Amino acid sequence: MTLQLALVAILVIAATAGLFARKRATGLRGGGIRLNSLPNYHALFVGLWTALPALLFLAIWAPVQSGLVEQAVLASPAGQQLPDFQMVRDTILSEARDIATGRIAAGFNPESNAIAPVYSAAYGKYSMVGSALAVLIALGSALLAMRLVKVDFRARSGVERLMMGLLVGASLIAILTTLGIVLSLLFESLRFFKQVSPTEFLFGTSWSPQTAIRADQAGSSGAFGSVPLFWGTAFIGAIIAMIVAIPLGLMSAIFLTQYAPARARAWLKPILEILAGVPTVVYGYFAALTVAPLVRDFGLAIGIESASSESALAAGLVMGIMIIPFVSSMADDSIAAVPQAMRDGSLALGATKSETIKKVVLPAALPGVVGGVLLAVSRAIGETMIVVMAAGLAANMTANPFASVTTVTTQIVQLLTGDQEFDSAKTLAAFALGLALFVITLILNLIALRVVRKYREAYE
Amino acid sequence: MIDTLIPTPTDTAEPAVEERTPKMSARDVKVFYGAKEALKGVSIDIHDDRVTAFIGPSGCGKSTFLRCLNRMNDTIPSARVTGTIELDGEDINSAAMDVVQLRARVGMVFQKPNPFPKSIFENVAYGPRIHGLAENKSELEAIVEKSLKRAGLWDEVKDRLNESGTALSGGQQQRLCIARAIAVDPEVILMDEPCSALDPIATAKIEELIHELRGRYAIAIVTHNMQQAARVSQRTAFFHLGEMVEYGKTSDIFTNPREQRTQDYITGRYG
Amino acid sequence: MSSRAASRWTDGSMGKRVAKRYAAERRFRLFGLAAVGLSLAFLAFLLITMLMKGIGGLSLEFLSNSDATEAANAGVWGALKGSLLTILVTMAIAFPIGVLSALYLEEFAPRNRWTDLIEVSINNLAAVPSIIFGLLGLAVFLNFMHLPRSAPLVGGLTLALMTMPVIVIAGRNAIKSVPPSIRDAALGVGASKMQVVFHHVLPLALPGILTGTIIGMARALGETAPLLMIGMRAFIATPPRGITDPSSVLPVQIFLWSDEVDRAFVEKTSAAIIVLLIFMLLMNGLAIYLRNKFERRW
Repeated sequence: MTLQLALVAILVIAATAGLFARKRATGLRGGGIRLNSLPNYHALFVGLWTALPALLFLAIWAPVQSGLVEQAVLASPAGQQLPDFQMVRDTILSEARDIATGRIAAGFNPESNAIAPVYSAAYGKYSMVGSALAVLIALGSALLAMRLVKVDFRARSGVERLMMGLLVGASLIAILTTLGIVLSLLFESLRFFKQVSPTEFLFGTSWSPQTAIRADQAGSSGAFGSVPLFWGTAFIGAIIAMIVAIPLGLMSAIFLTQYAPARARAWLKPILEILAGVPTVVYGYFAALTVAPLVRDFGLAIGIESASSESALAAGLVMGIMIIPFVSSMADDSIAAVPQAMRDGSLALGATKSETIKKVVLPAALPGVVGGVLLAVSRAIGETMIVVMAAGLAANMTANPFASVTTVTTQIVQLLTGDQEFDSAKTLAAFALGLALFVITLILNLIALRVVRKYREAYE
Repeated sequence: MIDTLIPTPTDTAEPAVEERTPKMSARDVKVFYGAKEALKGVSIDIHDDRVTAFIGPSGCGKSTFLRCLNRMNDTIPSARVTGTIELDGEDINSAAMDVVQLRARVGMVFQKPNPFPKSIFENVAYGPRIHGLAENKSELEAIVEKSLKRAGLWDEVKDRLNESGTALSGGQQQRLCIARAIAVDPEVILMDEPCSALDPIATAKIEELIHELRGRYAIAIVTHNMQQAARVSQRTAFFHLGEMVEYGKTSDIFTNPREQRTQDYITGRYG
Repeated sequence: MSSRAASRWTDGSMGKRVAKRYAAERRFRLFGLAAVGLSLAFLAFLLITMLMKGIGGLSLEFLSNSDATEAANAGVWGALKGSLLTILVTMAIAFPIGVLSALYLEEFAPRNRWTDLIEVSINNLAAVPSIIFGLLGLAVFLNFMHLPRSAPLVGGLTLALMTMPVIVIAGRNAIKSVPPSIRDAALGVGASKMQVVFHHVLPLALPGILTGTIIGMARALGETAPLLMIGMRAFIATPPRGITDPSSVLPVQIFLWSDEVDRAFVEKTSAAIIVLLIFMLLMNGLAIYLRNKFERRW
C-alpha cells in the first residue's frame, strides 16, 4: 500500500513542479522577450523529468523489495522453522503475504498465520524505505529540472526527444513479442527433446502422451509420435475445410463482384463478413451440438458403421464455413486487381461474361487466389476451439471423414489443462507442438505473402 | 561554378549576387535526390522590398530551390542539400538554426490550397498558438483578424470564422493559407505556384494581394506562368534543367534576355 | 468465297451453340448465387438455432447471477464482468502501444534493417494462431513473472499482445490516408515534426484507428483458446473484484458449460452465446458507424 501512496505522491510532485515551471516560464516572458519554447513545454519537460526517474526507481525497487522481505522473513525465528521443501514453503509464504496485505483473513497452513506478523513488519519497513527514496528522487530531479527553465532553454526539443523514445520503445514491443514467442517455445521444446528424441516426435506414428507417476507403472513410457496429429490437422484444416471454403468463397466473390447489383453487394458483403466475426467457441458449440449428430446420422444412413459423433467431417465443415469470408475477400482483391483492359479484350471478342471469368479473369487472378488460399489454410490449421469441441481425441491415421481424428491444437489444449506439472514431458510436449505449429504457419504465411506481392506487382 | 553564373555586367543586366545586404542569399546550392543532381549550383539573392519570381519549364528545379529556402526538403529522406543559404547572414543549415524558427521566419504557401480541416479561425490561429505569439485570447483574435485583413479575406469570412476552412472556394482557401502564413509574422514568404490550381478571377485576386504584401515581406514566387511573373515580380530568375540560367530585372528578362535559352523559353520554343 | 464465316452466324447449328453458351452463362450465375445463398443460409441456421435454444434462458437472474453448479442458478454476470475487465486491460495496453508504433513506423522510422524487422514482426504476429499467444502467456506471464493465474490481468496482457498488431496495421492505413499536404501546411508555419504528428496527423487518423481498434477488441472479446492456456477454465462462482482476482470470461464460460452433462446447461450455453453475440454486434456496429460518420475523401 505504501508504494501505491508513493506513486501518488510522485505524480503530485511532478504536477506541482510542472505548474511551477509553467509559472516561472510565463514570468520570464514579460518585457517583450520571446522564449525559445512555450511555457507549456517547460511545464511538460519539468513534470516528465520529475516523474520518470522516480517511477523507474519504483519499478526496479518493487521486485527487489519482495526479495528483501522474503529474506527478512526467512531469517526471523519463525521463518527458520518453516519446512525445507520448496513448494510447501512457497505456499506458506504466499499465504502469509495475502494475510499481511489483508487479501485473506486467515491461512490454511498454521505456519502462515504465525509468520504473517513478521511478514507484515518487514513489508512495512522496506516499503517505507522504498517510498521515501522514491519521493526524494522525485524532489531532487524536480529541483534539477527546474533550474533549466530559462529564456533560451529548448524545452520543446527535450520533451520531443522523450516522446521519440516512447515511440521507438512502443514499436520495439512487436519485436520483443516475436522474440518472446520464439524463445519460450524453443526453450521449453528443448527441454522436451531432452526427454523424447526429436526423431520419435517428428516421425513417430503413435501418440499417447502419458507420463508415469511411479516408475513401475504399466505403460509408463508414453508415445510422442506427432504424425497422426499433423495428419488430423491437415485432414480437417487443409482438406475438408478447403473443399467447403474454396468453391463457396470463390463463387461468392465472383457473384458479388461480377454479377450482383451494387445495392445488393453493399448489403450482402457485410452480412457475409459476419461469418468471420462469430467467435470460434460459438462455431465449436454449434458443430458439436447440431452439425456432428447430423453428420453421424448421415454416415450411419449411408452404411458407414464406424461413423463417429466426433467426426472429422463435422469439424471440417464448420471450419470451412468460418473461412468462407476470408477466402472470398482475398479472391475479391485478386479479381479486382485484374486490369479492366483484359476483360474488355475478351468481351469484345464476343465471349460471355462467364467465359471471360473462367478463361481470362480467373487464370490471371490465380496467383492471388492461391496466396489467399494458403493464408486461409494457415488460419484453419491454427484454429483451436472448433476442433477442441467437435473433433475427437483419438490419434487416428484415417482418411475416413466419418471417423474421429485429433489435431495439434486440440492436443495442446488437452496437454495443458487439468492437473499439470510444469516439468513433465506431457506438458512440455505442448510447447513442442506449439513450436511446430508456429513454424508451419509462419512458412505458409511467408510463402502466401510473397505470392500475393509478386502478383500485385505484376499488374502495377 | 559561381563565376559562370555571374554574367558579365552590362548597363541593363543585374548580377544574381548584389552588393546590397540581401534578406536571403544562396551560394552554390546543389540538391541531390539519391545520386541524381536535381539542382546544379544556384547562387541568388532575395531582397526584402521586392518580389522575386522563379520561372522555367516543369522539372527545372525551381520548386526544389524554393523548398531549400525554408528547409522543406528536410522532409524528403533521399534529398541532400549542399552549399550555403543565409537568412540575415545566418546559415540556415547550421546546427544553431532551429528549423522550426526558420520556418516561422520564412513562411510558405503551397501549390494546392491546403487548409487544415479545422475552422477558419483555427487555421490562422494555429501558427501563433504553437509559437506563443499571443498572451491571451483577445491578442490571438487580433492577430487572426489582422492576418485575414491583410490577406483580403476578412470581409468574406468575418461572420463565419467557425466554419471549416475546407468549405471555402479554392481562391478563398489559398488566401486563407496566405493569412495563415502571415499570422506568424514571417520575414520572407515563399509561394510555390500559388495560382496553378485556381481560376483566372481567383488568380487575379492573389496577384493583387501579392502586390499589396510587397514591401512588408520579401516574397519569392515560383510560377510556370510567364505573364504572371511579368505582372507580379521585380526580379526574375530563369531555371532550366537544374541550372539557374539567368537572373535580372523582370523587364530585362522578358524584353532583352542575355541567354539564348531564356529567349527560347519566353518566346515559347519549349516548356 | 462461299465459305466465308459470316454466313454461318445465321446457321441453325450456330444458333444452338449460342443458346448453349447462354445456358452455361445462366448456370454459372446460378452457382454464384447458390454459393452466397448457402453461406447466408448457414449463418441464418446458426443464429436461429442459438436463438431458439437460448432465448428461454435469458432473464434478469441469468444476467445478474454468476456460475453455479446447479444449472438453474447459473448466470453470466461473473463471466461478463471478467470479460469487461480483461478487455479493459487489453485496450489500456494495446491501444497506446499500437498507436505509438503505427505513428513511429509511418512518420518517423528511417528505412533500415531495424524498421524492416519491426514490420516483418508485426505482419507475422497478425497471422500467428491465437493459441500460440496463449503458450507465450503461460510461459512468460505465469511461469516466469509469476502473475496470478486465471486473472483478467494476465488474460488482458495476453490478448493485448495478440491485438496490438491488428491496431498497428489499421493505424498505419489510417495514417497513410492523411494527405501529405496537411503535413506540409503545418511544417510551413513552423510546426515541429512532433507537433505536426500530434496536432494534425493523429486527430485526422483517429477515426480510422478507432475503427480498427474496436474490431480488434471485438475479436479479443470472442477469443477463447489463449485464455484456456493461462488457466482461465476454473469454476469461479464469485465475480472478480479487480484485475488480479481469479475470473472467468464469457467465451470460456460458454466452453465450460458446453461440456456439462446436465441437459439444462444447453439452454444456458445458448443464452450465453446470445449475450456474447449481442456484445460483438454492438462493437462491430459502433465500428461501422464510426467509419461511415468520419470517413473523409481527400
